[in-house]
Amino acid sequence: MLFMHEVHSVSGEHEHEFEAAYRDGWLKLLAQDDDARLLWYLNHAHGSGVSYRVVTITAVRDGAAYERLAGRLRRGDLLDWSRAVGGLRHDVQGKMLVPVYWSPLQEVDLATVPTDGSEHELSLYMEDTGWPSAPLDDYIRFWDEEYFRNMRAMPPEHSILEIEACFQVAHGTHVRPEAILMQKIVNYGLLLNLISEPEEYDPDVWPGRYMHRGLRYRDQWESRLLRTSTWSPRY
Amino acid sequence: MLFLHEVHRVAGAKEKEFEVAFRAGWMEALAGDGDARLLWFLHHAHGTGPSYQVVTVTGVADGAAWERLAGRVQHGDLVDWAREVDSCRHDVQARLLMALDFSPLEVGLADVPTDGRRHEPALYMEDTMWPRRGKAEEYIAAAGDVYTRMLGSESAHRLISIEAAYQTMPGAGRYPEVTLMQKVHDMPALVRLLTTDMPEEMARPGSWMHDALEFRDQWRSKLLRTASWSPLN
Repeated sequence: MLFMHEVHSVSGEHEHEFEAAYRDGWLKLLAQDDDARLLWYLNHAHGSGVSYRVVTITAVRDGAAYERLAGRLRRGDLLDWSRAVGGLRHDVQGKMLVPVYWSPLQEVDLATVPTDGSEHELSLYMEDTGWPSAPLDDYIRFWDEEYFRNMRAMPPEHSILEIEACFQVAHGTHVRPEAILMQKIVNYGLLLNLISEPEEYDPDVWPGRYMHRGLRYRDQWESRLLRTSTWSPRY
Repeated sequence: MLFLHEVHRVAGAKEKEFEVAFRAGWMEALAGDGDARLLWFLHHAHGTGPSYQVVTVTGVADGAAWERLAGRVQHGDLVDWAREVDSCRHDVQARLLMALDFSPLEVGLADVPTDGRRHEPALYMEDTMWPRRGKAEEYIAAAGDVYTRMLGSESAHRLISIEAAYQTMPGAGRYPEVTLMQKVHDMPALVRLLTTDMPEEMARPGSWMHDALEFRDQWRSKLLRTASWSPLN
């Protein structure tokens, strides 16, 4: 399964029209066949990064379905929709992602993804994108052994987040080396601690051990705090 | 057909190893089946932009073939090759491209050389354009009509010819974005282009340079020189 990850630089005065175009357009147009489904519609939280950025992630069945979808957008029945959305944003940067071997999210049953725009409470994700200096496969394994397994073993009351997915870029669609973590924040109090209290990491005890050892693999990453819309199929 | 376009930031000290990895590795590994072929291996000419940058363009039969190729790189027989190449470069920025209707490139993958045969280097001017918001389709239509006609009318003393025209595939790069691969035919004319101001008549209403401002004013040109073994030249 492939995951189309898009970062939209939205025209501020059109942000509501843009969201409506995805809720009433993309979400429902994709429901006409079994090739793809919108999974997440996420607003980059104002105050934590660049303004008027929206991240969407769309699951696509396979490479042939991806090619069909691209054809619909560029010269098929989605061209008018694409043209209208193009007028509501400055640009969009897309990449195709594939799950790494240990990612909790591997396949999505497209038939079960909601397409009716039903509303729910909001949730917050921390999306981390890392660019390793070490070989990419070593970095991905390091994330598994030193981060994912420890986070999963943590008592719920100490968990700040839940790792829902880990991706790498499908060859030829963006930067290499790069890997991405999609993490749902489950404790806003702990998030506040993380942001507001300087941490002294003990290199011999996790998570300090992870932070110190991590420097062997990377020192460049970017975190985004992304808030789901009320109708985002996944939240 | 899809086109895998990659810009490699090569480690200067490893530029020869990097080139060998593509000539003896990627090009030959792809020759084993009908999914894909390396088309161009191009050096960004030193003195005209960033140092040690290489552009490669790989033709891929279709979406399913691309998925198979990506799988070979992620967890198949090309994992070790990718790891080796990564050690020769800082990073690579890639995108997938789709041919525009007016793109003249017609290449059958089975006809693309994979034996590293040598030839004289050729120079390309690769232009990447970012049309204004909501103007992508109008720009593409105008480029296919006015611009290609303009280049065709200069056939007697052609500076450049369009070899291929692409737009970036949704979900695999920036949108809107259009890329033209243009072969340089006249080196003295290129020097004149670089060393003289644009003639006034080219900036008047009715000229491409003037009228196309309605659709775009942001682009980037790269002068790219083919390697002596690049399959397409």
